[in-house]
Amino acid sequence: MRSFVESIAQWSRFQKNRNLIIQFFFLIFTVLFAIYFLSVAFQLELSLSHFKSRAGFGLSHLFLIDYTSNDSRWVAYYAGVINTIRVCLVAILLTTVLGTVMGVARLSKNFLTSRIAWAYVEVLRNTPLLIQIIFWQIVFLQLPHISEAITFGNTSAISNRGISLPGVSDNGSAQMWFIFLGIMAAGSLFLSYFLNKREDKSGEYLSIAGYKLSGNIVGIIFFALIAVVTYFAFGKPVSLDIPSISQNTKGTWMQSGGFELSPEFAAILFALVIYTGTFITEIVRGSIQSLSKGQTEAAQAIGLSRYQSMTLVVLPQALRSIIPPLTNQFLNLTKNSSLAVVIAYPDLFMVSRTIMNNSGHALPVFFLILFTYLFLSLCISLVMNLINRRVTRIGT
Amino acid sequence: MRKIKYTLLISALFAMTAFSYACATEDSSEASSSGGSNTLQEVLDRGMLKCGVNDNLAGFGVVAADGSFSGFDIDFCKAVAAAILGDSSKVEYTPTTASNRFEALGSGEIDLLIRNTTWTASRDRELKQDFTAPTFYDGQGMMVYVDSGYSSIDDMEGATICVLQGTTTELNLDDRFTGTGMSYTPLTFETNDPLQAAFEEKRCDGWTTDKSGLASKRASFPASAGGPEALKVLPETLSKEPLGPLTRDNDSEMYDVVQWVVFGMMQAEESGINSSNVSSIASNPPNPGVARLLGASFEGGEVQDFSFGIPKDFMQKVISQVGNYGEVYDRHLVPLGLERAGSLNAMWTEGGLIYAPPFR
Repeated sequence: MRSFVESIAQWSRFQKNRNLIIQFFFLIFTVLFAIYFLSVAFQLELSLSHFKSRAGFGLSHLFLIDYTSNDSRWVAYYAGVINTIRVCLVAILLTTVLGTVMGVARLSKNFLTSRIAWAYVEVLRNTPLLIQIIFWQIVFLQLPHISEAITFGNTSAISNRGISLPGVSDNGSAQMWFIFLGIMAAGSLFLSYFLNKREDKSGEYLSIAGYKLSGNIVGIIFFALIAVVTYFAFGKPVSLDIPSISQNTKGTWMQSGGFELSPEFAAILFALVIYTGTFITEIVRGSIQSLSKGQTEAAQAIGLSRYQSMTLVVLPQALRSIIPPLTNQFLNLTKNSSLAVVIAYPDLFMVSRTIMNNSGHALPVFFLILFTYLFLSLCISLVMNLINRRVTRIGT
Repeated sequence: MRKIKYTLLISALFAMTAFSYACATEDSSEASSSGGSNTLQEVLDRGMLKCGVNDNLAGFGVVAADGSFSGFDIDFCKAVAAAILGDSSKVEYTPTTASNRFEALGSGEIDLLIRNTTWTASRDRELKQDFTAPTFYDGQGMMVYVDSGYSSIDDMEGATICVLQGTTTELNLDDRFTGTGMSYTPLTFETNDPLQAAFEEKRCDGWTTDKSGLASKRASFPASAGGPEALKVLPETLSKEPLGPLTRDNDSEMYDVVQWVVFGMMQAEESGINSSNVSSIASNPPNPGVARLLGASFEGGEVQDFSFGIPKDFMQKVISQVGNYGEVYDRHLVPLGLERAGSLNAMWTEGGLIYAPPFR
């Protein structure tokens, strides 16, 4: 017996063996915990089959999808996913612009500009996002009631039911036209790219009556021409849609037509853009400052203006260190969009929770929500990694 | 010395694993038993009733600044605790939300759910939970501004309606509008506060929820937004909303106790027994029926035992510590302006639906 204990002691004299023991027990502990967790989980209903049943509830915001309460819960869920993607895409675009402008402004020599950017960052970065969302909702609710809506010569209407701007309406073939325009936009970009490359290589360029036409201008003109020609070729697929406010016979005020920005969408969009923008401001500022000062000085030495040295020399180099932390902010923004649930914007989380309440099966629906956000985040990461690869490759 | 240290370390690790395993198996056995069998025995063993409640609905369940709970639903938790444990204070309240309440009950986190929950077929069957007799008969209503000109829901074509998310209310609303071919926009809020903020700014034309809830919201509507006079509840009732306690499926002992505590409180009111006279009536019951209800002896006879697995005199404790149905109603719901006379919640003898099967 003694020899057994001794041999154990001998064996455990090595760090590796001792670690092995600890890992072994940790593994057992983890497995036991997992078994306990699963044994509880499996007492609950885990399938998503109830998603096939009739949804039975209405949604206030619908985009690109034609949903009625008679559709299945899956359709309602997709409508929620689209609402999330919609607010995230718009917010990512706007917040990037805002963050970049503010980041550059933060380093401005102009006292007022740099202080404004500083105050923006310090105030809005240090207050909770949830409170900012509720703040914007309250701000938009303070707009006048629809019966006293502000109208600008009947072209747009602003009330706490929504901000309506002139939009375009579909005359039947708009979808085809938009797809065609998308293809043509890609074509024009390729044309510009090709002409620019040719000019770089051989110095040849197109000209009309002695005026030089750069590749970019040719691309724009080409696209504009195609757009105008096909607009008529497709039989005027879209027409201008002016919003209008009316009261029906029973006295309900209604806002119809145009492009409508609802207070809920506006509140979540503003909050996400402005909050995430503060972090992007700091990323942009940090990346610019991390560049050697010699870059700016060299740019100015060869006679570039301050704007040119910023856009042609500094920002392209700063971009390398901007992209990875920027990805994080885009992911944060996407995940933070789930806070829309508090202000009645029917995003993925809200719709799923409604389904969860109606069905009573929280666990499987929660897994679905988790996987959907995971999928969205991975998509953003993928795109950003592709961009990052391209940015870091330049110049090496 | 060193050897001893390692031996100690290893044996400590063994002990820890054994302990954690013991804990885990104990927990899982508790969890699995809560999936099926005997909650009543667990409550008796624990000496504490875990009751899932609402903490934010005036009159039904609210939590005060000092952490104490009060309300109509809370009193039924107290009544069940008084019946099982003999002490109405032995309740551990778990605030639940509209979304997590059923899982809280299903997973065994709570023993009993009394949270203004509507009895529906799908909840009864699909969620594997049992509803006892309703404690309150509610109905969904629509509240609008007086100056809106609406006199019925049929006038509300195209209106925007504020509603709480994930409730039967939201589904009834949709049934009502799509069922009559009317369009509407639902603004679905997660909680009442932002909903009320939106309604005060007239972001919505109507606010729909249970009529009891509308009454309490209307009564407390801020003067800055017009006060209660600016609002009216339309006469139409959109749906039946019988609210009552829930227990887990196949948990008959617990279910029967909760069921009969509720019935007992109704019967006590019918028999004229209340918290102030219960002890004198129990010592000298006027008739055998009252004696059976209170678990007291009628003129020296044998005490009736219904075999609920709790003391025979449980209704005495319930009534002396909490009161009869009418007392509970008057204490919490009358201050909200929910008059009982003429409503569904009047005694059956007065034309209402409050009716207890016989204690026999």
